[in-house]
Amino acid sequence: MRLASLLLSTVAAAALALPGLAGAAPVKIGFINTITGAEAPIGETMTNGLELALEDLKKQGVDVKVIRQDDTGKPDKAISAIEQLATGDEVTAIVGPYTSACANAVAKQAEQYGVPQVIPAASKEEITRQGYKWVFRVNAPANVYAKALIDAALAFGKPKSVAFIYESTDFGSSLSKVGKEYAVAKGLTVVADEAYQKGSPDYRSTLSKVKGQNPDLVFMVSYVADAILLMRQSRELGLKPQAFLGGGAGFDTAQFEGEKDISTNVFSVTQWTPDSSKASMEFAARYQAKFGKRPTYHAACTYTSMMVVGAAVKKGGADRAKVREALATDTWQTIMGEVKFEAYDGYNNQNHNAMPVIQYQAGKSVTVFPAKVATAKAVYPFPGWK
Amino acid sequence: MAIFLQSLLSGILVGGVYALIGIGLTIIFGVMRVINFAHGDLLMLGMYVTWGLFALFNIDPYLSLLITAPVLFLWGVLLQKVFINRVLNALPQNQILLTIGMGLVMSNAIMLAFTSDYRILTTSYTSSAFQVFGLSVSQPLLYSFLITVAITGALFWFLQNTDTGQAIRATAQDRDAAQLMGINVKRMSVLAFGLGTAMAGIAGALLAPTYYIFPQVGGPFTLKAFVVVVLGGMGSIVGATLGGILIGVTESLSAVYVASGLKELVVYVLFLLILLFRPAGLLGKSRT
Repeated sequence: MRLASLLLSTVAAAALALPGLAGAAPVKIGFINTITGAEAPIGETMTNGLELALEDLKKQGVDVKVIRQDDTGKPDKAISAIEQLATGDEVTAIVGPYTSACANAVAKQAEQYGVPQVIPAASKEEITRQGYKWVFRVNAPANVYAKALIDAALAFGKPKSVAFIYESTDFGSSLSKVGKEYAVAKGLTVVADEAYQKGSPDYRSTLSKVKGQNPDLVFMVSYVADAILLMRQSRELGLKPQAFLGGGAGFDTAQFEGEKDISTNVFSVTQWTPDSSKASMEFAARYQAKFGKRPTYHAACTYTSMMVVGAAVKKGGADRAKVREALATDTWQTIMGEVKFEAYDGYNNQNHNAMPVIQYQAGKSVTVFPAKVATAKAVYPFPGWK
Repeated sequence: MAIFLQSLLSGILVGGVYALIGIGLTIIFGVMRVINFAHGDLLMLGMYVTWGLFALFNIDPYLSLLITAPVLFLWGVLLQKVFINRVLNALPQNQILLTIGMGLVMSNAIMLAFTSDYRILTTSYTSSAFQVFGLSVSQPLLYSFLITVAITGALFWFLQNTDTGQAIRATAQDRDAAQLMGINVKRMSVLAFGLGTAMAGIAGALLAPTYYIFPQVGGPFTLKAFVVVVLGGMGSIVGATLGGILIGVTESLSAVYVASGLKELVVYVLFLLILLFRPAGLLGKSRT
């Protein structure tokens, strides 16, 4: 429905614009996202972010037509989506997909077809480490997540051991792999390393095993629902480390925030916070007014990605090579701060994005680390379950 | 030792719910020889009814069973009369396609109506537990288990001791002979599908406070129900109960002693082994 009305409005806009821009059809941009399936709630925030970006681009006079594809969170679907977009619809650039597994699969195809791809929120490190020319990433990769959380815990107290619980997906394993390496480098002992299959109703046995190890830190990496389930069952079992560290994704959603019983005092790490700048506050207010929800970092990242693509299209038109050129060389001021795609530490076309650590206090997320951006004092160690 | 007992306990409690899902499927198969691939989606409907009652009228998920079960029973009756009944004598693959189609329509209709957002039920006891001898017994899981035991017991008594129950069992044993004995086998089929649907709905309602609710939640449970039923022996209620608990415990223990990520693997290896040595399942009778 939304697609149809969007199509209509772009057609109408194109018809109106005809006299001025003779023959200048809107530039086609592909948007691959998880619209259905288990990660759909996050996909929805990304769609919302994109909508706001489209409003703003229209105001700036950038005429784009977005063609949407649903990857359902599965890499094979994501690959057919990009094949359709690159060869059938002949889009100029692609925004998305969400999950690491899908984004990585699409990156390979984008490189092969020579379509600029801007990834908003997938964190698997390898994606921008394969020397791809056409793949750009706005969000920070997994090592930044892990580093920020462990640094925060070490700044607040003196933890000695850490347990990792993560889902066995690209996102979960890559984030905990760098997490483990960094923890060991910082002198922590990894006492449990539990990869789980997502979607199980019962993680109690895994959690009792972790509880038996008595870790100082529990580091979890999960998408939406498992984050809530894991914390609920931790509460049941009375798992009580010095701190629960949640690696973004499911630990940074409005739903998780709303579950006060289990979210209170949990740490998470995020790509973006609404209180980070004036532009961010405005974005958050607009988002709240339009969709009635708090924007998550996924929305902000997608908004930024689309704005960046819009700016590149303004410069390069519908030409893929020119758009790529603009993406590779320009710098933009966005709600996520300055965005610039650079080569560093083995990464290519990777934006430097600092990740603040947040903590849920009384049903709200507050920034607690690093000290210079903190808005509240961290509660550490974990005071116990209420 | 504490970890062993703790995971054994969680395994048994979760297995109870698996058993309930399996029982619904096994009743339907037993009476009609129809393999219901929409079973997980019926469970999903049960979850949504429970969630709706909770969100709109603040009815406790366990109390709402009194509404969820009859609603799902009637829905099952309707499905049987309108769809399943027409394919009772069709080829098995046609029946399978029909039930898969029904499942897809149900999950997508729910997605259209409620979006694919995760719904989470939070009650006062959602993440509470009783402490018994140093073990923590999850409150919602314990309630679910007790209700499962009560319902399974009641169903068993109904099938053993009432005329209707015996008629259902007779239909399951031999449809033609039952008809010759004057049993209205069509009515029994309707009843059986209604009962099976109600069981799936109850299982959904029992899972609702501890799990999360979304339109595609059914798929993995359909699969689990099949493993439970085939393991226990197609058509056997006691077998399904046993199969459910066995799978719950295997999952739980293998998460501790093998690896959390491999618990499904252990379950399926066990499944294959049992089928190798007992092709008809633990309590199944081969029907050749």
